[in-house]
Amino acid sequence: MTASPRPDARPKLEGSAVFGMDLESPGMLWGALVPAPVAHGRLRSVDLAPARAIEGVVAIGAADLASLLPGSSGDPDRPVFPTDTVAYRNQPVAAVAAPTRELARQAARAVRVEVEPLPVVSDLEEVFPEWPGPSADSSPHVAAHVRAREGDVEAVFRTADTVVREVYRTSSVHQVALEPHACLAEVGDGKWRVRTSTQSPFGAREDIASLLGVPEESVVVEGTWVGGGFGGKGSALLEPYALLLARAAGRPVKLALGYREEFLLGRTTLPSVIRMETAVAHGRIVARRVRLLLDVGNALPGRDFATGFAIGFLLGPYATPAFEVEGYAVRTNKPAFGPHRAPFAPQCAFVLESHLDHVAREAGVDPGAFRAAHLWKEGDRTPLGQAVGPFGLAAAFEKARAIAARWRAEAGPDHGVGVAAGFWSTGTGAGGEVRLLLQPTGLTVVQGEREIGSGSVLAGVAAVAARCTGLPRDRVTVAYETTARAPFDSGVYGSRTTAVLGRAVEEATRMLFADLGRRLGLAEPVPRLAVAEDEVVVVAGTTRRPIREVLTEAERTGDGLVATGRHYGKGGTIDERKVEAGAFYPFTDFTGAAHVAEVSVDRGTGTVRVVRYAAVHDAGTIIDPASASAQIEGGVVMGLGTALTEEALWSEDGRLLNAGLLDYRIPTLGSVPPIEVTFVEGFSGAGPFGAKGLGEPPIIPVAAAVALAVRDATGAHVTELPLSSERVARALNLL
Amino acid sequence: MPTPIVLTVNGQRRPLDRVPDSERLLDTIRWRLGLKGTKEGCRSGECGACTVLVDGVSTLSCLTLTHEVDGASLTTIEGVAADPVGRNVQEAFARAGALQCGYCTPGFVLALVGLLKERGADASTDELLTDLGGNLCRCTGYLSIARAVSLLQREGE
Repeated sequence: MTASPRPDARPKLEGSAVFGMDLESPGMLWGALVPAPVAHGRLRSVDLAPARAIEGVVAIGAADLASLLPGSSGDPDRPVFPTDTVAYRNQPVAAVAAPTRELARQAARAVRVEVEPLPVVSDLEEVFPEWPGPSADSSPHVAAHVRAREGDVEAVFRTADTVVREVYRTSSVHQVALEPHACLAEVGDGKWRVRTSTQSPFGAREDIASLLGVPEESVVVEGTWVGGGFGGKGSALLEPYALLLARAAGRPVKLALGYREEFLLGRTTLPSVIRMETAVAHGRIVARRVRLLLDVGNALPGRDFATGFAIGFLLGPYATPAFEVEGYAVRTNKPAFGPHRAPFAPQCAFVLESHLDHVAREAGVDPGAFRAAHLWKEGDRTPLGQAVGPFGLAAAFEKARAIAARWRAEAGPDHGVGVAAGFWSTGTGAGGEVRLLLQPTGLTVVQGEREIGSGSVLAGVAAVAARCTGLPRDRVTVAYETTARAPFDSGVYGSRTTAVLGRAVEEATRMLFADLGRRLGLAEPVPRLAVAEDEVVVVAGTTRRPIREVLTEAERTGDGLVATGRHYGKGGTIDERKVEAGAFYPFTDFTGAAHVAEVSVDRGTGTVRVVRYAAVHDAGTIIDPASASAQIEGGVVMGLGTALTEEALWSEDGRLLNAGLLDYRIPTLGSVPPIEVTFVEGFSGAGPFGAKGLGEPPIIPVAAAVALAVRDATGAHVTELPLSSERVARALNLL
Repeated sequence: MPTPIVLTVNGQRRPLDRVPDSERLLDTIRWRLGLKGTKEGCRSGECGACTVLVDGVSTLSCLTLTHEVDGASLTTIEGVAADPVGRNVQEAFARAGALQCGYCTPGFVLALVGLLKERGADASTDELLTDLGGNLCRCTGYLSIARAVSLLQREGE
């Protein structure tokens, strides 16, 4: 192991890193949420008196909002506490705070909540057992409807050689960040201050301001170390309740979820039903129809992002001359759909790869060669008309097929090998800014994100800054400031952080070098910095000037030389003429991976074991090799959970039945195969030095690769996720 | 009224008064002793994040009542570096990059230190990894943790 340790290794290995769960403040109270007892109903009354009768307890409900938030109505579409209808089980209907955590829980249980039950819709197939007709748009269960087309699909289907029609189902999966949501709120001096475990301090600030109906400037969010995010900590969840309790109590309030609550209240990936139809003529795809029903839980009508986004991943990354795509976001009595590492893309890849593999088999052509022949390459257009940028997926897929051929030749009985492609649009469209401080001792990058574990902030941004300036890594510090002082950034999500903040660092470095050039009386910016005799020097031609000689007295004794940089990228454009309803989204960077799984399948039980795995990625220029490999290993293993064991089960009355780590099974140490990580190079991305994001792509092809390996091993064509022993056994006619 | 109890925490004697009978060792460590390096995950023995050493034995502090361990000697992540085995484990995790968000890390380190103390230098990497199987990590995919364990073994040889 030659790589230098992660910059955050020491605080995490010594126990000094303070996470949201660890926050404490003198005199603080503990908060607890009062859950709705049913998944759907009319709220008759919320009686806080029994809780308030307990000494030291503060309790708040909808009726208290007017006095806690004078002159504000908050977001009328998203009331902090419901006033008339309960929309999902455990929806917070009130909140309490008490001097101890145990007392807070007792107080929450003491609140009397009366709800007149209404029929619960837990399963989207109860709403739409068949593909919905034109009247669906007026259904209260439809949060979004998207539709796009190109050509006359029905006519092409009539004349094709082969038409394959299938239905797939995918499960609800949870992020399972090991640290539950937690925050500590304090209110005073006209400020709403909250320290919180968040992937997006500025996003949380915006959310809190909107939910409470207060100005953004009055909200100060300070991020803590984050014990895993995976999308689940991207927007405000507990912060508004904690702040309102702190306001009511006049004291700091800590609010932390128990792990069961973490499952119950988490906004995550929900089930889907996907109908896939593909027509082939002369070995080529000639037309496709894709119909998606996506459960979005309590998502607000008009605010669904997932459906149109998902359709893009069900269409691509394959050339498709004629198509009809349509999707409905279906509201059910569950917490709202929320992001989970590459939201819904692993499910889309599972469906698309399994389907096209099946189509190729039905058409009598080689499934790998069939998919390879249709993969997008740079210069192609997506079905929705966007030009494809530098994209190494086809190259990665070729490499993966070669690995698969080798493994297949070696595979024993009941073993099988699957190859799957997946792609992603990294979120370089969401902007960010940094502030550089150059001092004689080194460079500090001031920014507004906390490290969530991927390395994107502390390792990625530092590596970019070192490469931009010429300074060694140990002379670069990445510093965090709260939303009150940091330059803006959108959040650590969407595989965007190193790419966007890195581009901002590039721009800030240009400003810095121009400034240094002027100070040295040069006509041009200085080319780089270096370290000589233990201090930072400017290098220009043959001269080396110590930075301390270039700084003013005020800079020397203060922050140093300051330069700012920002990056607000933009995505491509789609051909809106193809869109008939709803919103589809252009991609901002084309990132892809091809994975190979070798499995063994127990012929008696249907149990699948992944015995080895290879991941070939196009991530553009690799900025920090250690972090890049670590992201791929972690993402693959998370994907193995989606593939094999992870499934949140909802009862008919809207209960989450397996809200715990014994019953909702994530991968454990003993279940992990060796993983071979490689990259294809030469496909430049929108990030610094041609980097592309890498946080999400590694999870995308995993379930697909495993499913195709199971098919290769046994012939079983499983059309539902996860590939539990039971599902595989059914496909093998063992049950 | 509960009787007073005494713990030795990272080598320091810590008398504790008025610890309720129902208090979990996890909460005593975090909120009474202020040692937040011991992490709260599931509070139900499923994740291993709260692992500490009780008289050298790796123990889930969320499933242990503080009164059960009256008189015992505790090692938490804050004190693990005082012991050469602990320091080696920390060093191996750092060198192997065996952590990402870091939330499961203290539990893994303590569980591994406990195993090494229990099994001594004879333990094979495979045995150690099998016995670490109760600690959950969502970020790393475990492979870097396995590499940290094998680094340790190589040093032991």
